[in-house]
Amino acid sequence: MGCIRAVTAVAVAGLAFGQPLASKAAEPAAADATAVADLFERHVRPVLVERCTGCHGPDTAFASLRLDSRAGLVAGGDGGPVAFPGTPRPGELSRRLRHGDDTVRMPPPEAGPRLSPDVIAAIETWLAAGAPWPSAHESPAAPAAPHWAFFPRQPAAEPTAANSARAIDGFVDARLHAAGLSRSPSADGRTLIRRASFALLGLPPTAAEVAAFVADERPDAWERLVDELLASPRYGEHLGRLWLDVARYADTKGYVYDREERFFVHAPAYRDWVIDAFNADLPYDRFVTLQLAADQVVPAGSRDLAALGFLTTGRRFLGVTPDIIDDRIDVVTRGLLGLTVSCARCHDHKYDPVPTADYYALYGVFASSVDRLVPLPVRDDQPAAAPGWTAELERRRRALADGSLRLRSAAETRARERIADYLFAQRHLDRYPELGFDQIIATADLVPAVVRRWQGFLGRPGLDRDPVWAPLVALLPLADEGFAVEAPGVLAAVRAGVTDLNPLVAEAFATPPHDGRDVADRYGRLFAAVAARWQAARDGATAAGSPQPAALDDAAAEALRRALEGPGSPTTIPDEPIAAIETLLPSDAVNELWKLSNEVERWLLPAPQAPPHALACHDRPLPVDAPLLRRGNPALKGPPVPRHFLTLLAGAEAPPFTDGSGRLEMAAGIVAPDNPLTARVWANRLWMHVTGAGLVDTPSDFGTRAAPPAHPELLDWLAEALVADGWSTKRLLRRILLSETFRQSSAVAAGSAGPTIDPANRLLWRMHTRRLSVEQFRDTWLALAGELRFSGSGRPAEPFAATGPFRRTIHCLVDRQYLAAPLRVFDMANPDLHTPARPETTVPQQALFALNHPFVAGRARALAARVFCTDGPPEEGLTALWQLVLQRAPTAAEREAASAFLDAARRAGQGPGELTPDEQLAQVLLVSNELMFVE
Amino acid sequence: MPPLPPLSRRELLARGGCGLGLVGLAGLLADAGELSTPPATDPLAVKPPHFAPRARRLVHVFLNGGPSHVDTLDPKPALARYAGQPLPLSLTTERKTGTALPSPFAFQRHGASGLELSELFARTAIHADRIAVIRSMFAHVPNHEPSLMLMNCGDSVQPRPSVGSWLLYGLGSENRNLPGFIAMCPGGLPVKGPDNWQAGFLPGSLQGTALDSRHTAVEKLIENIHSPHAGPAQQRRQLDLLARLEAARGAADPRLEARIGSFELAFRMQTEAAEAFDLAGETRETRELYGDTVHGRQLLVARRLLERGVRAVQVWHGAGQPWDNHEQIEPNLRRLCGELDGPLSAFLTDLGRRGLLDDTLVLVGGEFGRTPAVELGGDGAAKAGRDHNHYGFSVFLAGGGIRGGTVHGATDDFGFRAAVDPVSVHDLHATILHLLGLDHKRLTYRYAGRDFRLTDVHGRVLQPLLA
Repeated sequence: MGCIRAVTAVAVAGLAFGQPLASKAAEPAAADATAVADLFERHVRPVLVERCTGCHGPDTAFASLRLDSRAGLVAGGDGGPVAFPGTPRPGELSRRLRHGDDTVRMPPPEAGPRLSPDVIAAIETWLAAGAPWPSAHESPAAPAAPHWAFFPRQPAAEPTAANSARAIDGFVDARLHAAGLSRSPSADGRTLIRRASFALLGLPPTAAEVAAFVADERPDAWERLVDELLASPRYGEHLGRLWLDVARYADTKGYVYDREERFFVHAPAYRDWVIDAFNADLPYDRFVTLQLAADQVVPAGSRDLAALGFLTTGRRFLGVTPDIIDDRIDVVTRGLLGLTVSCARCHDHKYDPVPTADYYALYGVFASSVDRLVPLPVRDDQPAAAPGWTAELERRRRALADGSLRLRSAAETRARERIADYLFAQRHLDRYPELGFDQIIATADLVPAVVRRWQGFLGRPGLDRDPVWAPLVALLPLADEGFAVEAPGVLAAVRAGVTDLNPLVAEAFATPPHDGRDVADRYGRLFAAVAARWQAARDGATAAGSPQPAALDDAAAEALRRALEGPGSPTTIPDEPIAAIETLLPSDAVNELWKLSNEVERWLLPAPQAPPHALACHDRPLPVDAPLLRRGNPALKGPPVPRHFLTLLAGAEAPPFTDGSGRLEMAAGIVAPDNPLTARVWANRLWMHVTGAGLVDTPSDFGTRAAPPAHPELLDWLAEALVADGWSTKRLLRRILLSETFRQSSAVAAGSAGPTIDPANRLLWRMHTRRLSVEQFRDTWLALAGELRFSGSGRPAEPFAATGPFRRTIHCLVDRQYLAAPLRVFDMANPDLHTPARPETTVPQQALFALNHPFVAGRARALAARVFCTDGPPEEGLTALWQLVLQRAPTAAEREAASAFLDAARRAGQGPGELTPDEQLAQVLLVSNELMFVE
Repeated sequence: MPPLPPLSRRELLARGGCGLGLVGLAGLLADAGELSTPPATDPLAVKPPHFAPRARRLVHVFLNGGPSHVDTLDPKPALARYAGQPLPLSLTTERKTGTALPSPFAFQRHGASGLELSELFARTAIHADRIAVIRSMFAHVPNHEPSLMLMNCGDSVQPRPSVGSWLLYGLGSENRNLPGFIAMCPGGLPVKGPDNWQAGFLPGSLQGTALDSRHTAVEKLIENIHSPHAGPAQQRRQLDLLARLEAARGAADPRLEARIGSFELAFRMQTEAAEAFDLAGETRETRELYGDTVHGRQLLVARRLLERGVRAVQVWHGAGQPWDNHEQIEPNLRRLCGELDGPLSAFLTDLGRRGLLDDTLVLVGGEFGRTPAVELGGDGAAKAGRDHNHYGFSVFLAGGGIRGGTVHGATDDFGFRAAVDPVSVHDLHATILHLLGLDHKRLTYRYAGRDFRLTDVHGRVLQPLLA
């Protein structure tokens, strides 16, 4: 309040309207402050609450204006600031309060009568006095109490190989004992090997493997089993699916317009890369870095470029860039950091310390990158490409490149010829919609996105002193009314302020322009003249047989030429794929370019010999800082935000990124060993992956609203172990599986206090019983039926096709737009969104599938053929069936029930195309709870 | 985790041996709410509303493509004065537009309320006193896809749960033998397909079940509803065995019970769902009332579904976007309304005489309206059609809790822009939820760190529409 003295004079000025403070005007500052506070509490706050915040408050914020906090008042609304506290400047708030027109005044007629003049005066006095607002009543942006997840890990013990199992069990036991509980005894051998096999491979063990493990009496039998499972190539195929949930993986783009190919060429290569990376136990920090910035750490052509699919397999949102980037920010921050940064798209995060500026700092990183489809080395399992096929691919690629050059050049030429119109359009921006408002653009039309590019270009800081653009940015905004009166003064100020004004520009503005059109036209003529000189210089060189000129001789003309044609010019359409530039072209050109692009992709998509491709991000030559968009609204651009890492992690003074887009720097910030979130988030996901529930219930939200971990010391210890082990995922899983906690029974012992004290089993007094995911049970059925093929790279397969060969579900099609109904019904991750954890639902549609879908019947037939093929006694068939499906012999009761079933089914007979009794029995076992739930 | 039911299915099984009659009974009891708590894994379990509802179910007749409001629900005589001349007001839409295009259709007042409707809705107009028209709707952009998403899911861009999915989430489904949310579209899919009835971040089983209402056979309507490889007797034996094996195991876990229960429900669905879609049970008079056309049949099916407790039904006009009348709007609207008007009128009549209209909310409308100015082709010539118009359009509501004969809001003199009491799609959604007994601010789902609502941070209940 050091400025209160200065404010006093203003407060006095404010009193011209109203009276409440008149007698206090001359009193000392402290008394003033008290008086203003009193004024606020007595006359202002009640009015704000009763008359304003109903529409401009936490529930509804019309025009994005909130009057329930000083921050909201100062921030203003969609139309800009509404008040200038502490200054004499009257704002929109004051204007509306006093407005005579009922359709303009606030509060509006439907909200009651006008405020009385006294009340308005009180508000103005309070505003002029700086609008002090007791901080206890500020909005919830105030920093909360220290939140565990934002602080460094605090492991209670150094993770070593020797203490690993003991440490995990120790942490679990400590909390259990404190709650009056204890761990359950170890599960039996069969249960353990089934549990480990489903947890690590997503597949059941064979009966022989179960028998061997149960018979193995070596003390390290369990350890050997875990190591064996971790070494299996099936491991990556199962853990990979967890990652694809994180990465909102899909093989298609989601809804697209007819003109655009809807399948991704690159998605399968990303999926294969993820599987291979897990199988190779790529250190998690490297795994993440490659997925964010492989283009900057591996050579061109490297297979690792496929990793960038993490960013580029998201939904395409009809090509609307802000939504594509929002999706990328979301997948990066929730997926890797457990932070819901996307909440800050429209406002500062309401609960976590993530200001809106941080969102746009990351936005700039992604806006400075462009996606390009690049070929990768051919896989060993692919057929060789015939020369004709390759030649045709080359032809299509060339046609695309040629078409792109032609259409881009034509568009650039038009944009330059019509520069005067584009400049004049800046005076009527409302006629040129923002992205997401799609129009059919004729070749003769101004392209709205180019108009908007000019808007961005002319809005850059410092342009008011630019030798070329200063007169334009000073003159163009002048209102029509009074233009001719104001222009000479404005122009004189520019001449005085910009000493290095371009001589040609100075000449063009030797006399003041008479209106906005004149300003634009003068620039138009200037650039046309320069373009003509440039063409003449080039033609001259051609005629003379000399090399093409690099620049115009005249420095002033050359500066103008560069301003118009240089890489940063709004008229330059970069050599980027159609997806990145479609808004800059007229509709016919867009359709033509998509057609050419589709022809390349449709040549690649169905071809088994096509090399894998990556949709790799590349830094643009000129990185850009994104403007902060208030309320996330592109029409409400704020100042550009330098690209930097989240201030929550990098500090309030987070240094700007300097290396290109900053993606690699962002990645480095994420995988920094001292990042408090990354290792915890991954350790928690792994814990969830193998046990069925995370230590933190919200695996992608470690923010202040998340419930604390069930075992905080354990989570920190696991995260520490992950980092200490060189970010080895396999080693961490090994530590978890070797614990007694993992090995305990899932049964509820008679008399256990667990169900009463901790019914959700958060503290882990037993192991969770887990239902198989749709991938697990589909793969399991196929494996049991002897139909599963383990070569799955490349193009996706239909998951529920009538005939094989059948691949693992992770290798099957994930179609965003038309997700196979069984996948959706069985809680498959919604590929439109990052999925923290899948729900587990039970609905009749699942049972209808299990009863009636031909896929189930097909597996039942194959399974029955495997076990009932002998001519031996039916007893043997039953035993074989139980052994194959459940890896145990049937009990006497089961035998009796199954035999009775078979007898009855045989007596009833079957129609053509119906399942035989054996097959009906096999189906029952396939859909049984014992198969579907892992103990 | 919820407490175990007082009498579990397993106990019933144990007491009755493998007496399946009892299992069936348990299912029925659960349906009737006699067994205390449904399993937590059942997202369709019936839940109480926030307050007493005015309607228990929603039917949305979706005129996909953007029906022209100035030809149907929003009379604009001023257009005639400007015929062939530019309007004083011209707004940017998807394509270029030219001079005013007066409606070729006559408007008339109907009922005691004097509600003005065009001749295109002459038969629906007999229900004028039960209808409330909102003439001041607006959306954000003049493009189908985002506007469909806004109307159906409350967000133009982000994948969000649809209105029907939110209703299922909030209220559950009263008939467990049928999907709780059904979207019927004859001949294929509308633009954006399943996104229109998506569950978004809600559990996938809350997504709408789509069916092609051009078909009449139930196996073509509902996936997996019939087994190609086993008859009912065989399946009955299979389910008996499943239950017996389960009982022999004796594991105690409500999730396992719920799963076995879901098989029983599915088994019954096979017969009951077929019955719901079979129009043979309707009287001849009723069938004739609706008419034996695609639209007549699908609205009659809709009524059968609603009366069987399906929570939300969407009835789309057809695949693609039939109401997208860029050209030749007069013959096209005559054809479209010719298809719709009679069946829609019959539907309202039929709901009314069965007492269903009192607690069924009917919404009729598209994703936006159309321009009052004529659309221009690429050559600048007028095309006798209208372009998309998101600035102002109309929808109408009828039935449960609606104050009939009302007109809410208005567009400007020409029907270009919502001018009086503008109504956002969020307001419409807030009102729908309110009528179904849900407070749009309290119906939330925690996802990605915050509590999401159908209406996001917007929406207000339109009190003047409420009876």
